[in-house]
Amino acid sequence: MKSKTKTRLTIAALVTFSVMLFLMSTDRVAKKNIFPYEMQQFELDNGLKVVAVPYDSPGILAYYTIVRTGSRNEVEPGKSGFAHFFEHVMFRGTEKYPADVYNKEMQLLGADFNASTDDDWTRYYQVLPSSGLEKIIDIESNRFQNLKYTEQAFKTEAGAILGEYSKSISNPFLAMFERIQELAFTKHTYGHTTIGYLQDIKDMPNQYAYSLEFYDRWYRPENCTVLVVGDFNYEQLQKLITQYYSGWKRRDYKQDIPVEPEQTSERRSQIKWKSPTFPILMTGYKTGGFSVQAKDYAALDILGSYVFGETSALYKELVLDKQWVEFINFINMDRRDPNLFFVYSRIKDEKNMTSVEQSIDAALEKAKNEVMSEDQLKAIKSRLKYSFAMGLDNPDRVASTLGNYINLTGDPNAVNELYARYDEITVQDIQAVAKQYFDAKRRTVVTLTYQAK
Amino acid sequence: MKAINLFITLLILAVLSCGQKDSPKFITEKNQSNIITFRIQFKIGSIHDPVGKEGLNSLTALTLSEGGSKQRSYEDIKKALYPMAATFTSNPDKEVTTFEANCHVDSLDSFYAIMMSLLTSPRFDSSDFQRNRELMVNQIKNTLRNNDDENLGKKTLETELYRNHPYGHIDEGTVKGLESITLDDVRNYYAQHYGRNNVVIGLAGNYPDQIRKKLSDDFAKMPVVTAEIKPLPQPEKIQDLEVTIVQKEAFATAISMGFPIEVNRSNPDFYPLLLVNAYLGEHRNSSGILYQRIREKRGMNYGDYSYVENFIQEPGTRLVSPNIPRRQQFFSIWIRPVVHHNALFAMRCALYELNKLVDKELTQEQLDVAKTFIINYSKLFIQTQSRRLGFELDSDWYGTEFYIDKIEKELKKVTLDQVNAAIKKHLQGKNLKIAIITNDAEGVKNILLNNTPTSITYPSAKPEQNILDEDKIVEAYPLNINKEKLKIVKTDELF
Repeated sequence: MKSKTKTRLTIAALVTFSVMLFLMSTDRVAKKNIFPYEMQQFELDNGLKVVAVPYDSPGILAYYTIVRTGSRNEVEPGKSGFAHFFEHVMFRGTEKYPADVYNKEMQLLGADFNASTDDDWTRYYQVLPSSGLEKIIDIESNRFQNLKYTEQAFKTEAGAILGEYSKSISNPFLAMFERIQELAFTKHTYGHTTIGYLQDIKDMPNQYAYSLEFYDRWYRPENCTVLVVGDFNYEQLQKLITQYYSGWKRRDYKQDIPVEPEQTSERRSQIKWKSPTFPILMTGYKTGGFSVQAKDYAALDILGSYVFGETSALYKELVLDKQWVEFINFINMDRRDPNLFFVYSRIKDEKNMTSVEQSIDAALEKAKNEVMSEDQLKAIKSRLKYSFAMGLDNPDRVASTLGNYINLTGDPNAVNELYARYDEITVQDIQAVAKQYFDAKRRTVVTLTYQAK
Repeated sequence: MKAINLFITLLILAVLSCGQKDSPKFITEKNQSNIITFRIQFKIGSIHDPVGKEGLNSLTALTLSEGGSKQRSYEDIKKALYPMAATFTSNPDKEVTTFEANCHVDSLDSFYAIMMSLLTSPRFDSSDFQRNRELMVNQIKNTLRNNDDENLGKKTLETELYRNHPYGHIDEGTVKGLESITLDDVRNYYAQHYGRNNVVIGLAGNYPDQIRKKLSDDFAKMPVVTAEIKPLPQPEKIQDLEVTIVQKEAFATAISMGFPIEVNRSNPDFYPLLLVNAYLGEHRNSSGILYQRIREKRGMNYGDYSYVENFIQEPGTRLVSPNIPRRQQFFSIWIRPVVHHNALFAMRCALYELNKLVDKELTQEQLDVAKTFIINYSKLFIQTQSRRLGFELDSDWYGTEFYIDKIEKELKKVTLDQVNAAIKKHLQGKNLKIAIITNDAEGVKNILLNNTPTSITYPSAKPEQNILDEDKIVEAYPLNINKEKLKIVKTDELF
């Protein structure tokens, strides 16, 4: 093991390096990349992409495997939640590393390991001592090529998914996302949440055969990227990846994701919640999906901060002055296909629900009719950049950040492109996206209120 | 001549420093990072809440971090901090209240002025007070009581473990307590508890040297307060299984159980128990016995873990948060929600595994694996500068060497006999408090009182035969319920 002294040095060194380069990018060379580290990339003949980011974290690295498949790919009826379920199945072992051996190996490595699934992707990650590099490559390459699980183990894991659903369902936001996605998307698979519908979760034990097909379709080298961040030797990494992953066969499975027809009128729904809660208002406006070629996604991000952020006029009105709402916020969803711009707020008294909605509408109308000030734009851009730099404070966060851009575009450099777009955004661009996207006919509104039995 | 002058100057500074009565304590880590981290910890916590004003400590902290200063309103401060992306948050706990701040060195001067104004000359605006108090009341009334069953189970257990004890209410307070707190209460609490003799200042990063001096000077202007560390009574003795059943609209049953233990990080026996816990149920880790038996083999829920100290997961990680130190700790088991009809089987299963551990002890191989795991895994606790500084403060609080170093040092020398002796001395599976969140409190009560066997229903495939054989033992595992202490409560009776 590495010495304690080295561990002590890790944090300081890595943060410093990140921020120093960030400053170079902002202060000295305006167009310099926002991502402050060198990215080394190579691709195996089978299509597996590898992104390596040397990072000053002595003795520690983050090892990510990114599968560009998520609940977006659940096109068959009754299969909602399957990508997430399959993420669990991936921990059921192989002949060489059965589940209990896998767990023991992770223990011996002292690894922090897990996986997560989202609409567009699934990621598997370990943060571990650098001395375990070959072991982790061996283990991970093995399960991505040779996963083997019994039908019984498969069915048992389905119970854990129901448990995951059970732990989340007491939170009203899961119900709200379920409803708003279902209403907003009539064809596209974004119409269901990543965890899936309860009835599909309950049917998962019966889907063993489908699970084999799912693995065969998506757990293929051309659909995956290995991302390594931290303390490692690049030549050794190349050699080991080539050695362990070259035998993985590509399939090039193609799938048509249903295209969502244009929304032509407002959609609304109301949820009656059985447990006491403050009312919640959630609105989703159809947007154009993530892109770094066009300005729209970046402009919407800035617009969100301008209209709904902590320094916005609306925040002042609703949170600070009238104190009608506990919070108001937005999410500009970064998804591969057109998705939603969410505005959500928890309101202290149901009687103010309509007024809050009117205030939100008025704030968006103002953004359409008046340009924001240059100072406001400058403050938001500054925050975006400082937040980014301050967020890259360990290998795991670097990998997690970069991984998302690999997911979205297949290219880690998308992060630099996005921040270049932010730089280019003008106050007129903000006004333009406000006019383009915040039309009542593009929106879906869901409210949730407590109703005692 | 110059050398002599320098020597004299240094001597005077040293004397001045020593002569400054009740001056704050510093824990610093100067390094090359351009992110500057502060962890400013006051030795006050919810144990200082006056009776009837439960939540005063937390509300005061929140009013400092989410309020204005005498010089600037909350709105102005938000606007000033916004372009810096600087963060300033409060983390009140039972024994300490810690303010954490992170900013870029570019903005350090501006940020520092704001941070210090918030800490040393708070505005105590009635609007800020009102907003923050409503936030806290809603957090308990709606979110905790009704929309977060996992935390409801944990907090119910903790409240029960420390009945009639300064730890006996949650840090956030009680609805009644919060509703009775006035702005003057907050103002007075601040005046009485926030002083230069009651603070430890953590500072890390590539900070300029003058910031260290400014901190010293600025905190020196704070008053000296009565920094009373209240003695803690022993928690109530637990007799058999003392169960609190919470009746609510619940999709599944959440269960937490535990008992106070007599060790914390300052006690040598704590470290063998870390190993035992790694074997039994390390948080969010799939290798623990509880996880293996309840989730992995039987597919009953999302996860099952155990703890040998109070554990709060730091958001965005699976690791324990720093700065939640306690003189008294407790052992606990967390069973994440289980479908109602299998819940009591899961509870029995956890008790069965706990008792098995106590009876059979660890083997050398199990110990070796746990040692390697924890020594390596604990290095990940300090992946960020802020976390590292947090653990430095914790180590100071417990009066030990740096926690991560101590883990390695202690674990390397611990023997199997010591581990098994620590199990016998500190763990047991007979006398526990249990919190059950369910939609059928009466049904659960009847089963417990009658010690009715509770078999498991597998929705589809059954596990291997040895697990099925074990099921027969588990389903009838005797529950020695303390019938006098068993109670049913509604959520609005809690907190």
